[in-house]
Amino acid sequence: MSIDVVAPMPGKIMDVLVKVGDKVSEDDELVILEAMKMENPIYAPADGVVKEIKVAKDAKVDSEQVLLVLE
Amino acid sequence: MKQYFAKMDDLGKPLKPAQIARMKENVAQIEEVLKGIEAEVDRVKKAGIPAETVRKRGQMTVWDRIEYLVDAGTFCPLHTLYNPLDNEEGMTGVIDGLARINGKWCVLVGFDNKVMAGAWIAGQADNNLRVTDMAKILNLPLVWLVNCSGVKLTEQEKVYANRRGNGTCFFRHAELEQRGIPILAGIYGTNPAGGGYQGISPTILLAHKDANIAVGGGGIVSGMSPKGFFDEEGAEQIIEATKHFKEVPPGSVGIHYNHTGFFRAVFEKETEVLDALKQYMAEMPAYNPRFFRVAEPAAPKYPPTEISSIISFNQKAGYDFDNILARLVDNSENLEFRPDFGPEVYTGLVKVDGFLLGAIGNRMGMFANYPEYTSKYTGIGGKLYRQGLIKMNEFVTQCGRDRVPIVWFQDTSGIDVGDIAEKAELLGLGQSLIYSIEQTNVPMMLVVLRKGTAAAHYIMGGPTANNHTAFTLGTATTEIYVMHGETASTASFSRRLVKEKEGGKSLGPIIDKMNELAKEYYDKSRPFYCAKTGFVDEVVRYEAIRNYMVAFANGVYQNPRSICPQHHMMLPRLIRAQIVKGLERPSKEAE
Repeated sequence: MSIDVVAPMPGKIMDVLVKVGDKVSEDDELVILEAMKMENPIYAPADGVVKEIKVAKDAKVDSEQVLLVLE
Repeated sequence: MKQYFAKMDDLGKPLKPAQIARMKENVAQIEEVLKGIEAEVDRVKKAGIPAETVRKRGQMTVWDRIEYLVDAGTFCPLHTLYNPLDNEEGMTGVIDGLARINGKWCVLVGFDNKVMAGAWIAGQADNNLRVTDMAKILNLPLVWLVNCSGVKLTEQEKVYANRRGNGTCFFRHAELEQRGIPILAGIYGTNPAGGGYQGISPTILLAHKDANIAVGGGGIVSGMSPKGFFDEEGAEQIIEATKHFKEVPPGSVGIHYNHTGFFRAVFEKETEVLDALKQYMAEMPAYNPRFFRVAEPAAPKYPPTEISSIISFNQKAGYDFDNILARLVDNSENLEFRPDFGPEVYTGLVKVDGFLLGAIGNRMGMFANYPEYTSKYTGIGGKLYRQGLIKMNEFVTQCGRDRVPIVWFQDTSGIDVGDIAEKAELLGLGQSLIYSIEQTNVPMMLVVLRKGTAAAHYIMGGPTANNHTAFTLGTATTEIYVMHGETASTASFSRRLVKEKEGGKSLGPIIDKMNELAKEYYDKSRPFYCAKTGFVDEVVRYEAIRNYMVAFANGVYQNPRSICPQHHMMLPRLIRAQIVKGLERPSKEAE
């Protein structure tokens, strides 16, 4: 089953902390999203493996945009 | 009520090795700040003449006295770096803090007899007001180690007069006594004039054999110069008079023990004065802790030393507040109040050393579909919105009703601003929180974990809650200012930039001023500056915060002015909105 990890608000990707194939656990930090002058970690909603990364560092993203996909 | 308190809900999570590794640089940055703070504390401890010089005279230093007097490991120092008027000694001439003496908690304050024989120096009056405020708020005995040479004569204009000058403390002593709060004094050395009032104003006076207290010092040679000025002839007369001056200071134990009886007892050895203070402390009114404890004391499940791997030194980076609170409270448990309402703020009941406390803190992160009053922007941690303000008002009010003392944790960038926020009544709800605090009459303490900004610093149990907040702690990441320095620079110079640009002038000088102002904001909001000016009462390591919470909890429950029986409390029931297990509506068949 795939899980989309989405941006909760518009912002800029400060850092992508994982790469495709990485095993992650629930609550691991995946991406740092800068929004409203704050650097906000986006956490893994569940255990899984990073299947696809859809954004790169410095990319601007919208609310609900898929950042990466876990499997 | 054990179904509410014996096992509360789990709070926080263990740290993952990856997070600990990622935060190594963060921990190093925090340690660097603490190194600077600890160097200043060391400088304060060494202020004045060397400790050895005092000991060679057969006397103890104030630090020796505190160490002898206080139960080991219980002293929680406050105001160590407080020095608002920039004395060269780096302090105000008194050492104070919360302490347990012979099993009873008190507010302890002593003159540093290494610094001008315990003189009144600049900033001390305000320090002493903070100390007497603490005793009043916490309803704890005040213990004085008096050794005071009186006004530093070369700076009398900074210490003697004024509405909140050094004499104010004697009115506060009288006020404490009227409220039934005892003041115990161990008296050493020569205490003339102001020192005499430091000696006479407490409730119980216990003197060392060489101590005196007096209206004025007999040691003042002669008086005014008859010529109206000083010249060489006058100086020679002063030298001659001083050489032959051998008068014993007035108000010795011969007068104030044998004659007036002001001194309850006199002791040969300095340590015997402290032993007597210990005996009096053992007799102070205090409940056995079991009277108020809701559970057996327990250490946090997760170590407080991990907090510097959670809180980010980078002020723009988020972290999990719940994980910090979990490392400060018994067994890392809590009962969260309204978890689904006002997500930017944590409110809940926790246990500290088995006592029930309310905890309130800012949460970091992003809050999708929030605040509820606009879809034009999204909520962000550290800011306060409508629901968060309402929730804090409710929680504080209920804590007042249930007589639950409160610990505040601030990391706030302020209340939401703009017309949308105004329509949402945030200005009124901010002031409502101040009103709610003022009507609770429960003691509070504050930890400024990171940012204390704008009016949010006032309303979230800030030091401005004079009648309620006993003390405020800072940390290595504390920053307190009305707004961020860059925001202030922009606000101050934006129109000027437009004007210069339209006038065809160079923007360089204005840009320089903007950078200067931003740097000034930074420099004047750092932890050391906050401690020196009194924005916080002490800067502590994260792992020490729990020690202060333990002292606070034990202190406020030692002899509270009012009581709510545990079985009359509403907060646990409001939190457990569902009916307690075993009391569900029974089926008809079962009845």
